[in-house]
Amino acid sequence: MAIVLLTGVALGSLYAMIALVYNVMYSTSKVLSLGTGQFAMVGGIVGAWFILHWNLPLWVAVPGVVLVGMAFGCLTEFVAIRRTLGGGDEHLWVLSTLALATIVQQAMALWWGTEPQPFPRLVVQDYAGLLDQKYWIPIVLAFIMALAIEWFYRRTLYGKIFVALSDDTFAVRARGISATRMRLASYALAGGLGALAGFGAGQLTYAYFALGLSLTLNGFIALAIGGIGSNVGALAGGLILGLATAFTAYFFGSEFQQTIAIGTLILLLVVRPAGLFGAQKVRQL
Amino acid sequence: MNGRTLALAALLAFAALAIAFPLLTDDRYLLRIGSMIFIYWTLIAGLNLLVGYTGLLSIGHVGLLAIGGYCFTILAGRYGVDPFLALAAGGGLSALCGLLLGLPSFRLPGFYFALATIAFGLIVAELALAFSDVTGGTVGLAVPRFPDPVRSIAGQYWFVLAVSAAVTWLTWNLSRMMWGRSLIAIRDSDVAARSVAVPVFRAKLLVFVFSGAAAGVAGGLFARAQSHITPEAFNFDLSLYFFVAIIIGGRGSIVGPFIGTVLLALLPDLFGSLQRYTAFFYGAALLAVVLTMPEGVGALIRGAVDRFRPAPLGHGVLRPDPAALTEAIKGGSR
Repeated sequence: MAIVLLTGVALGSLYAMIALVYNVMYSTSKVLSLGTGQFAMVGGIVGAWFILHWNLPLWVAVPGVVLVGMAFGCLTEFVAIRRTLGGGDEHLWVLSTLALATIVQQAMALWWGTEPQPFPRLVVQDYAGLLDQKYWIPIVLAFIMALAIEWFYRRTLYGKIFVALSDDTFAVRARGISATRMRLASYALAGGLGALAGFGAGQLTYAYFALGLSLTLNGFIALAIGGIGSNVGALAGGLILGLATAFTAYFFGSEFQQTIAIGTLILLLVVRPAGLFGAQKVRQL
Repeated sequence: MNGRTLALAALLAFAALAIAFPLLTDDRYLLRIGSMIFIYWTLIAGLNLLVGYTGLLSIGHVGLLAIGGYCFTILAGRYGVDPFLALAAGGGLSALCGLLLGLPSFRLPGFYFALATIAFGLIVAELALAFSDVTGGTVGLAVPRFPDPVRSIAGQYWFVLAVSAAVTWLTWNLSRMMWGRSLIAIRDSDVAARSVAVPVFRAKLLVFVFSGAAAGVAGGLFARAQSHITPEAFNFDLSLYFFVAIIIGGRGSIVGPFIGTVLLALLPDLFGSLQRYTAFFYGAALLAVVLTMPEGVGALIRGAVDRFRPAPLGHGVLRPDPAALTEAIKGGSR
């Protein structure tokens, strides 16, 4: 039972990290990218490749993974977001991010293969049951990430600009700040964080090309449970979802995981459309 | 010869070619590709009303295809129901599921709904594996054949062609009449459509039911064409294919998505050994279309047709003619 609980919390931490990544991109562009989970997929695979294939030490591999993720984030902004934003058609970015996510996923499948491959152990530690690194690394990482993002938003200039952008893009532009450049920065940040999340949770998920889509979905469910834009909500939503899926798998078998996850989401959205921690939005006519 | 007769002639020529196709070739492989295209088109024609006309991004229609396919296979194969009846039952069940899939769309905005439909596709695949005593799990089920006139491969092709033609005719009627206009109005602005008394709720539900039924019938035909189905056969790439075909073809058009369907279906076969790249190409094609021509191929065709069409009267610029004007004023004062 304890192992079910722990798996749930660890998985939930991964979902929470993806939800945080959604939030970072949403703050500057109001876009919910369908490629969000792919950051983590790329992070996991590239990390496994660095360590297993190139035998790189951890202090090289981690910055490497983050750099790759940041490059992917910049690519997303450049290819999928910049030209589709503000075109009047709100659905265009759904299509372009879906297209880019598919391209990256298939490219990874061609290069890495379609079977899940083992992920290296990151820290020297004997297999320790409940205290094993495959559980505590993602959990600790999620909390550090949430704290770091909060600190970034509250204490740094760039963070404050992100918050300002999410509030009123035009007012920020009027102060002479390039909203485009800030958006690029936020996507680079999101890509780096997403890749790091996938790397940290790699021992849970393995290095697997099809991970991206289900992470996109589950991260979004976590986000929607917590409320879009809220980082506390992302953590709480991730934990709720992770525990729900772990206990469903325990009681009913793992075949019903997605079904339960989506059921939770639909139920919650019908009752509280803004999520548990989200601000109620007034629709303008 | 004006544009209307030209379009009619093109349609007739295409129909004649499509009907005569089995007489022209004996190649089973070509016939199979032909039937697959029309099976896919049956689903895409219905989905087109949803994505192209009403603007609801459903990326999970492979779930409805699977439901129709399994319903047909189980009814006709295990319980010995008449295959045509089983096909209709599959359509009916899928229509019901389409209705259920459509209900959240009233509550969820665009992106949420797109993700909910992706999830729906994944859930159906998951449940098909979970209830393996019904669906055969990974081992799969053998699909029964149709009775005699439709039994042969050419007969199957003609049957599929007839079904897809019927569905196309229905969607064409629907899109041309008041319903189609109201769907486009809903796509462009929900609120504005409501304000001119478009029954948004009823229109959306109707489209969901219709596309569900088309997907279910297509599912039965798809299962038959596969002759043996497993949950693997209804993978997410297929859903992506349906969706991309419509976007490439362009919204609010029927010819465009059909061209998209044919192009994307032929793509893996044209490249032969590059089967593994199929989904990659779908993504690349979608990205290229979204970035360079968001209106799709259909808009390009329409533009080309417009160029050859004589300009309608009354669009010339009226220039003032001072001489005639003075003449007229003088004439009036006289």
